[in-house]
Amino acid sequence: MLANYGYIGLFLIAALLFTLLMVTIPIALRFLRIVPDKPNPIKNSIFECGMETIGKTWVRFNIHYYYYALIFLALDVLVVFLYPWAVNLRELGGSGFIIILVLMAIVLVGFSYAWKKRVLEWK
Amino acid sequence: MNLALFIPELALVATAVIVILLDLLTEQKRLLAQVSISGLVVAGGVTVAMWGHNFPTIFNNMLAVDNFALFFKMLFLGVAFLVILSSVDYVIKFARFQGEYYALVLLATLGMMLMAATTNLIAIYIAIELTSISLYALVGFLKDAKSTEASLKYLLLGAVASAVLLYGMALIFGFTGKTNLHDIAQSIQALSPPTLFASPALILGIVLLVAGFGFKIAAVPFQMWVPDVYEGAPTPITAYLSVASKAAGFAIILRVFFSAFGQPDWLSQNWGLIFAGLAVISMTLGNIMAIPQSNIKRLLGYSSIAQAGYLMVGLAALGVSPVGDILGQSGVLFFLASYVFTNMGAFIAVIAISGKLNSDLIDDYAGMGKRAPLLALALTLCLISLIGMPPAAGFMAKFYIFSAAVQHDLLWLVVIAVLNSVISAYYYLRVVKVMWLGQAASQEKVPSSAALRLALVLSCLGVLLLGIIPGYMMRLAELAARIFIP
Amino acid sequence: MLGLEHYLILSAILFSIGLYGVLSKRNAIIILMCIELMLNAVNITLVAFSRYVVPALLTGQVFAIFVIVVAATEAAVGLAIILAIYRGLEDIDVTKINLLKW
Repeated sequence: MLANYGYIGLFLIAALLFTLLMVTIPIALRFLRIVPDKPNPIKNSIFECGMETIGKTWVRFNIHYYYYALIFLALDVLVVFLYPWAVNLRELGGSGFIIILVLMAIVLVGFSYAWKKRVLEWK
Repeated sequence: MNLALFIPELALVATAVIVILLDLLTEQKRLLAQVSISGLVVAGGVTVAMWGHNFPTIFNNMLAVDNFALFFKMLFLGVAFLVILSSVDYVIKFARFQGEYYALVLLATLGMMLMAATTNLIAIYIAIELTSISLYALVGFLKDAKSTEASLKYLLLGAVASAVLLYGMALIFGFTGKTNLHDIAQSIQALSPPTLFASPALILGIVLLVAGFGFKIAAVPFQMWVPDVYEGAPTPITAYLSVASKAAGFAIILRVFFSAFGQPDWLSQNWGLIFAGLAVISMTLGNIMAIPQSNIKRLLGYSSIAQAGYLMVGLAALGVSPVGDILGQSGVLFFLASYVFTNMGAFIAVIAISGKLNSDLIDDYAGMGKRAPLLALALTLCLISLIGMPPAAGFMAKFYIFSAAVQHDLLWLVVIAVLNSVISAYYYLRVVKVMWLGQAASQEKVPSSAALRLALVLSCLGVLLLGIIPGYMMRLAELAARIFIP
Repeated sequence: MLGLEHYLILSAILFSIGLYGVLSKRNAIIILMCIELMLNAVNITLVAFSRYVVPALLTGQVFAIFVIVVAATEAAVGLAIILAIYRGLEDIDVTKINLLKW
């Protein structure tokens, strides 16, 4: 019974050894002077491909973009439900239609809430 | 499809929608609390009326309407009722967004009710997320630095936990090809250990499920969010989290592990032992970490981790017990009911006292015995119940769970649990001592509103009733647990 | 010829990368992206299992649809909370969000 877990234990030990090995190899190489220790600014810089940027990369977006993005995010996944329903419109019939209506009504409540709270106005 | 059996949930959805729309139209914010409470009362009334019948499952076996689900639904509706009562004055703190607050509480309640009722992995995931996402937003409702930070931590950790849970569900679905719990049970019923260990997807799935659910019930080692979130969140929401969210987690653990993985005896004994191990570390770590706390909300947070540990003693007992023995289940249900009343009462007293003091520090509670004798008395009663001393409910609850564990040869676990109860007495009684024997900073009385007093009286009555005449609740718990007899 | 294992290994690797990112990254938005990666890895598992284990049914696909929707709502709430923090702190480095100690 407990022996069945033996493989999991072995796997765990192997995983631990592997990570330990990976961490110790560079340290050992440095310690044995196989890898020379000659730091320079280019070596220490963060690896990035492409050209060096001109100016700041962190352009700030107007916070209002995010409100639109949030509403878009919440509403656009609706299509995931609407599409399968639309494809099978005939088979699903009246009850399916009513369920989709209820779903849309709930979403509309959220939409009218956002409208009333003036999220959609661009100031 | 029988929509009549879905009325409590529909009533909650309708109330939440009405509250949101009403909030846009009216300036009378107190009306929102009244509407929410009346919605809860309607849902609760229908739920009580449904008790005891043998209803079929609804929505193609997605939701069960059995006594187990109804028991938890009543519990959650009761908690939501108390939470809304105790929030009526608290929400004035955030002048805006009152309607959203009530609507989110209602939606979180809806999610928990679904959690207690679902019998399908897909529906379980959606119910858990409905609860969690509502709670993420609620935790950040104070909009100050601490509250938003707590909310972010809760969201990030909660999302990781639910991803892990989901991966477990996917593996179980892959192993069995089913998502319905009863179908899963049928396809693994006859498995022997060698076939299972040859393809360990099911074992890995179960372990990941334990991790995901462990986050919900705040078991060590998935507890790191608890103290921060409890401290940062609005206090009524802290109460709600510590009580209802935890109860919902246990409801779903009971349902999943019993309906789906209860059958091959060796399997249920294995996960029983997992829960025994989690119980030991939860109790010990929760109690030891609670001792140095100076903030009452953090203290109650660590204490709730320890309480989850005691509850998992019950889970371990019912894991190792043979099928058809429901002593463990009914013990866990009774413990949850008593824990709900006790912790709710403690937090309501904290809301009342801290609302006046503007401080959650235990040292500031000095002299509360003179400044607010009734509040201090109620808090004392609840803390005594958390220790597990008679005549409070906590004593009977621990008694039932521990005796179930002893009957199934888990004496070692019970010994650890009792030792832990002794440790816990130290920090609970320290609060009591500060309140009754400490020097008050001022002689000013601490007022409390009528709604808060009503909520407090109801919780304390529950604590006393369950402690003095536990038989009635025990019978309810047994009836609810009977669905696990195949 | 691609088999079930290939998809499972792919999704396990993606899931692990996501988990590693969650544990090691310090920007809250990148952590959210890593969580999305984990959820989508699960989606691959679900759809692959559905295709190979129960080819006649669509259980896994339906499950994946629900996961996508829930992931979107989770991301929406997460971004909203990050916005709220950003207004207070002007910073979303999670190591600097340390009023409450771990």
